Amino acid sequence: MKMDRSKKEADANGGTKIGRAAGAKPESYLPIQAEVVDIDVESSNTYLLSLRPMDEEDELVAVNYSPGQFLMVSVFGLGECPISIASSPTREPLQICVREAGKITQGIMAARVGDVLGIRGPFGNGFPVGSMRGKNVLIAGGGSGFATLRSLINYIADDRRDFRDVTVVYGVRTSQDLYFTSEYGSWQAAKIEVGITVDMMDASWKGNVGLVTSLLADLDPVPGTAALCGPPMMIRAVARDLLGRGFIEPEIYISLERHMKCGVGKCEHCTMGRYHVCTNGPIFSYDVVGDLI
Amino acid sequence: MTGTSAFFLRREDLVPLLEELAETLEVVAPVLVEGEAAFATWRGGALALDCENPLASPMEFFLPKKEVLFRYVQYSGRYTFSEDPPRARLIFGMRPCDLQALKVIDGIFGADLPDLPYAGRRRSTIIVALNCTSPGEGCFCRSMGSGPGAEGGYDLLLTDLGRGYLVEPGSPAGVYILRAHQRHFEEADPEDLREKERLLALAGEEIIKRGPSLNPEKIREAIDGVDWEEAGRRCLACGGCSLVCPVCHCFSVLDQGVPDGERLRCRDTCILSGFSRMTSGANPRPALGERLRHWYLDKFVYIPEKTGLFGCVGCGRCSRVCLGEVDRWSLFKEAAE
Repeated sequence: MKMDRSKKEADANGGTKIGRAAGAKPESYLPIQAEVVDIDVESSNTYLLSLRPMDEEDELVAVNYSPGQFLMVSVFGLGECPISIASSPTREPLQICVREAGKITQGIMAARVGDVLGIRGPFGNGFPVGSMRGKNVLIAGGGSGFATLRSLINYIADDRRDFRDVTVVYGVRTSQDLYFTSEYGSWQAAKIEVGITVDMMDASWKGNVGLVTSLLADLDPVPGTAALCGPPMMIRAVARDLLGRGFIEPEIYISLERHMKCGVGKCEHCTMGRYHVCTNGPIFSYDVVGDLI
Repeated sequence: MTGTSAFFLRREDLVPLLEELAETLEVVAPVLVEGEAAFATWRGGALALDCENPLASPMEFFLPKKEVLFRYVQYSGRYTFSEDPPRARLIFGMRPCDLQALKVIDGIFGADLPDLPYAGRRRSTIIVALNCTSPGEGCFCRSMGSGPGAEGGYDLLLTDLGRGYLVEPGSPAGVYILRAHQRHFEEADPEDLREKERLLALAGEEIIKRGPSLNPEKIREAIDGVDWEEAGRRCLACGGCSLVCPVCHCFSVLDQGVPDGERLRCRDTCILSGFSRMTSGANPRPALGERLRHWYLDKFVYIPEKTGLFGCVGCGRCSRVCLGEVDRWSLFKEAAE
């Protein structure tokens, strides 16, 4: 039952071209408290943290979100920063994937099982999973941008027959930087084509070396809808490649990263032209932001 | 006493009225602070009403430059939080341009996902506005449609008629004040209302006489024609314009204290170089010229799209403080009529 409700929530939340925060209630800036219940090491500088809201009344936060949405995560004393949700609402627990970048992410990564973090959200529009149904889906990630795409991939894997051909391409610097390696097999088992590439060869790597676009040449995805997240250079290259393959701009969705302080469209740190990445995004279609990235 | 009529308050009755109001509310009013008019908690004594609108706008009492969002106290790894309730407050002497700024901020902080600290203060603040019968030198409220006379958004509206004030209620709270303190008020003479219109018309003409007005539509069109790179070279990136602008509302959030402490919200400005910089170092608006352009686009294009109101209210404060000659007069000379 939980899955059905989450699916409906996610479909209803995501997808508006210029959406607004979905699950967020009018609220103060008070976070809810969430306990760290598990920590996985994804790479040398990246942890996957599983969180459980501590108060019963906050439990819905752990399932009421869409792939592509984010949380404002607090370490009290260090501050708050936006972190995308890495889990799918179809599966508990709620997970965030944190890469060491500044003092707050360092603080999050210093947390041990049983420690408490603050969370607010979920914020942002999320991927338009409702309108992705029935279509071919191409998912392209680069570096740490893959965390938010993992939410979408698992969401699709859990409802696989609602989607047509699904292809995942993922590029990182070295094989040590690959996230979620234990899950690729389950995605392939769900008939999701998975292509991985690295920039730099090393002794342990037997796979592809090159840019994400080289995977596209190999896998030749059928036009449909696309979800992209990664460095701007990679986004531009992949989007250009997809447009050349017959994908159309309104069907190429990009998850953007910006500095944020509030998550609710007030502090103005994340503005990109007329848009607030926190409330109008973080997912934008290429026809809207193509010339802004 | 009815809600729609106008009243007259004798000049010598103003301070006794405020004294009565100050018994139950914090009264904020323009007073002289080290020789400069400023909005501050009024503790009796003289008001600074014959000065130009203070450089620091009364928006400070809705969105303070620094405020505690909440306090956190840790006990064996768990936290308890506390927030301060908003204070019951009356702001006296708020000008029409600042009232307009409040309407713009209502459209941003009061809409969609309301900002609760703001909404709380908004609800617990009574506004006694003062029409501008002697506008300041850099004012261009007339071009922005925000003055010199106020249109709505106040609980009580005063107009200085010389021998006293015309008082008009604009809300049930305003009517309540008139009733509760009725011994200070008498029915206004129809001539007082005509006098108000005459004074406001004079003030409007005065603003036109002082200099060209800036048509916001023309500024909007002119933004693309400005050499922003060159403007960026003149701008000192001091952020002074944002600090005095009653519509500017960028903020930053930071924690102070471990394991117990406060989460603070402080004013910030998109003019500063680090404003949009991400931890990775990537900066979407690295050039000062780009940030200046964004500042103007926000006020003349984006905020109007969002709220239906211009993000500039014509108070002229940014020009009063700009040292780099990147204020609207310098940038949009050609848009002047």
